Amino acid sequence: MGPLTEAARGALAARMADVVGRAHVVSEPSELLVYECDGLTHGRTRPALVVLPGSTAEVAEVVKAARAAGAPIVPRGAGTGLSGGARPVPGCVVVSLARMTRILGVDLENGTVRVEPGVINLDVTRAVAGAGWYYAPDPSSQGVCTIGGNVAENSGGAHCLKYGFTTNHVLAARLVLDDGLVLDVGGTAADAPGYDLLAPLVGSEGMLGIVTEVTLRLLRKPETTRTFLAIFPSSDEAGDAVSQIIAAGILPAAIEMMDSLAIQAAKAATGLDWPEDCALLLMDADGPAPEVEHVHRRASEIARACGARAVQVPRDEAERQLMWKGRKSAFAAVGRISPNYLVEDGVIPRSEIASVLREIGRLAAEAGLRVANVFHAGDGNLHPLVLYDARNPGEEERAAHLGGDILRLCIRVGGSITGEHGVGAEKAAYMAEQFTPEDLDTMMKVRCAFDGGALFNPGKVFPTPRLCGEKPGPYEPHPVERAGLAERW
Amino acid sequence: MSAPRPGSGADGILGVEPRLVFEPAGEAEAREAMQACARDRLRVAFVGGGTDLGLGNPPSGLDAVIRTGRMARVLEHAPHDQIVRVEAGITLSALQAALLPHRQRLALDPPFPARATAGGLLCANGFGPLRTARGSARDLVIGATFIRADGVLAHGGGKVVKNVAGFDLPRLLFGSLGTLGLVTSVNFRLHPLPEEEATLAFPGLSPAAVRGLVGDMRQAQLEPAAVAAIWAGGSLDLLVRFEGFGPGVSGQVERLLAVAGKARASGGRLAPPQAAAAWARQQTAREVGPFRARLAIPPASLEVGTRALGTLLAALPGGAAVWYPTLGLGFAGGAPSGAEAVATAAGDARGALATSGGWLAVNDAPPEVRARLDAWGPAPATLALQRRLKAQLDPEGRLAPGRFVGGI
Ligand SMILES: Cc1cc2nc3c(=O)[nH]c(=O)nc-3n(C[C@H](O)[C@H](O)[C@H](O)COP(=O)(O)OP(=O)(O)OC[C@H]3O[C@@H](n4cnc5c(N)ncnc54)[C@H](O)[C@@H]3O)c2cc1C
Repeated sequence: MGPLTEAARGALAARMADVVGRAHVVSEPSELLVYECDGLTHGRTRPALVVLPGSTAEVAEVVKAARAAGAPIVPRGAGTGLSGGARPVPGCVVVSLARMTRILGVDLENGTVRVEPGVINLDVTRAVAGAGWYYAPDPSSQGVCTIGGNVAENSGGAHCLKYGFTTNHVLAARLVLDDGLVLDVGGTAADAPGYDLLAPLVGSEGMLGIVTEVTLRLLRKPETTRTFLAIFPSSDEAGDAVSQIIAAGILPAAIEMMDSLAIQAAKAATGLDWPEDCALLLMDADGPAPEVEHVHRRASEIARACGARAVQVPRDEAERQLMWKGRKSAFAAVGRISPNYLVEDGVIPRSEIASVLREIGRLAAEAGLRVANVFHAGDGNLHPLVLYDARNPGEEERAAHLGGDILRLCIRVGGSITGEHGVGAEKAAYMAEQFTPEDLDTMMKVRCAFDGGALFNPGKVFPTPRLCGEKPGPYEPHPVERAGLAERW
Repeated sequence: MSAPRPGSGADGILGVEPRLVFEPAGEAEAREAMQACARDRLRVAFVGGGTDLGLGNPPSGLDAVIRTGRMARVLEHAPHDQIVRVEAGITLSALQAALLPHRQRLALDPPFPARATAGGLLCANGFGPLRTARGSARDLVIGATFIRADGVLAHGGGKVVKNVAGFDLPRLLFGSLGTLGLVTSVNFRLHPLPEEEATLAFPGLSPAAVRGLVGDMRQAQLEPAAVAAIWAGGSLDLLVRFEGFGPGVSGQVERLLAVAGKARASGGRLAPPQAAAAWARQQTAREVGPFRARLAIPPASLEVGTRALGTLLAALPGGAAVWYPTLGLGFAGGAPSGAEAVATAAGDARGALATSGGWLAVNDAPPEVRARLDAWGPAPATLALQRRLKAQLDPEGRLAPGRFVGGI
């Protein structure tokens, strides 16, 4: 599929306008600008068109029209993705689901809600909070990102250690396939006979089809939440405390860690009177009151036993919110202590936190750069923020290089190159380091079952694009395996 | 590789006997067996503990069986990370025994734990009442290795609980009944054993009362670990278990008693031996045969589900059934009064469930019942897509042919 000629682009725009209405087709170069990238802003591509359908039926027609014109489709939610998943590919039609924002039905008897894909994550909880329910997966971007994007990325958040990721909360989805066929997968009754088609769909980064409706599982709000902030001399003791708390049989609702550089940044942004030159753990326990009180006490004792200098308990909800604000602001706040920074996202086994942070520190020193760490410690999901100054020649490249080394470190200790931001355009190259060619070939076969013509989001996730039906070369063990250097797990 | 041995009647799947049986002792041998099957274009099915071989249709033909019983090692247990990597043929009981010294468990409690294997738990969706709090194998699996029909070894997921790199192959294998590949190892998330647990029983409730009490429990923000309602001749004996730390468990017990009192449901906490017996009873209800079915409905339509249990049990004199009210899933089993009678009852139950968005599938049945009753029911609207998926991973249709939905 080559880029469209200008005439073909005009004809396709007219066809799309027939389907969705003139007002919902974007074709002016100046207006296309905002669609050139997602939350990963350093890679940009201008799409041929942007179309904003308002219903499943319109999405199906849009898909057929794009396919007939030979234009690839890039689905898009709010464009907050951090791996370039919604970044256009040359000559593509971006299908934005931003107009499909209806909450179609709340069923508290069954604990479910049916929504269109453009609904903002937090709006799901807002719709049911009055009745004492909520939607559990809580990406930090929950005030702006869409459920469609969450499904595509299998998004998670601070509370996922206890409550699971998007994949554990999607019961059913309506999907428009490459030929415009509309299919319902999953259901409110569990385990419908047949393959679990939701399994590959959730986390497929917009490569299998366009999701136009989603049924989500809701949870009853826990009775109580208790929070503490523990201050440790360094990441070593804090990392150890995380392991010990969880080893004691405690499943925290959230357990977040910040190192001293991240703390500095958060303080600069919020004015909190946190100490510097330390590491912080912020822990939530939630559930029935008697259980929570006990867990809260036990976990604070463990934190102290692991060397916490102090354990602070918020006096009231306002103070609790302030502590969380400090944590949540840390990402953006890093902008206050560095002109530029890269956000990495990798996963390591929880027991390796202290050693991996030390190794990251060593790699950073070697590169002559600083790395701030603020992350979901309970599930070992690191978010190293690599600080740099783009005005200094070569520094951006060094930062990117360091980011890559950190991902490799994650793979080496048995982890993953992404815990929540997805592979997208950004990390496709690293997939070949985490997975064998055979693993990737198998994933590609799944892709081909859904989307044989690679219509949706081509070029993402997979390091080397391959056409469906194309024969891969003979199978060989991965060179590193052959050399006995690595096992896959 | 150890040479395959000739198959016997005991190796058959639903009466279909293989010519050859492979019993690989590890991944390398399993791969050689799969490559041998690919080379000779053998139709092959996989057997773990054999506890769910009755699920689905008999194979349309079978040349070979690969048994996973000799692939039964714990490959890696990282207690601090609460994960385990096991070969597919390890039984649940053996795995739990290996985890016990670390006071951890795989939070699955299906029937036949002494025979059910890790691979089977994933591919046949083995679960029990603990699914209320901890989910199914789908929620606990974090990685898997399997061998495709063409003999290629593939991995998906990994060893960490949070991981979104690549398509989710491990969950795709969930419930796939060996039609997509031979699972050789599975990585699971583990949970600590609870410090304390308490079981409460509320016998003789009507289905509406069970639904009411489970709703009240949720309203009261109680968080039970396991819930099961055992069929007791038209009424239901409700079991609820709390797990956690001492104060949390006793606090929740008191609260549930108060909630139940208000709802006029009489019952109380069981002493440990009685509790063990009660949970064993719900497990037995799932083990009786030779006919067994599983049923599902959106949880709030509980009465539609329990009525369907009643319909089935009318054709299974002396049979047993259990309903999981929080999950919307139930099981019924027993000896058919007649093949025609049970097939008709299952058809009726299936129809009633379908009108409320539910389904019925056959877990096991004697041949004369199978002749009259489709194991899966009407083909789903997604069948064409499911067939494409199968064709991608097993283009010659050699893996457990005909066993799955729509003849896949
Ligand atoms: C400040 C900030 C904080 C963040 N914090 C977190 C976090 O804590 N956890 C986390 O997991 N992520 C986080 N993210 C990343 C991002 O918000 C999530 O990945 C989110 O799910 C993306 O949603 P979106 O609507 O913006 O999707 P987009 O970015 O528009 O798209 C993401 C992917 O989804 C596909 N897609 C979108 N809609 C559909 C659809 N209807 N059908 C098919 N495919 C579709 C796109 O093609 C693309 O591949 C954060 C981002 C920012 C900017």
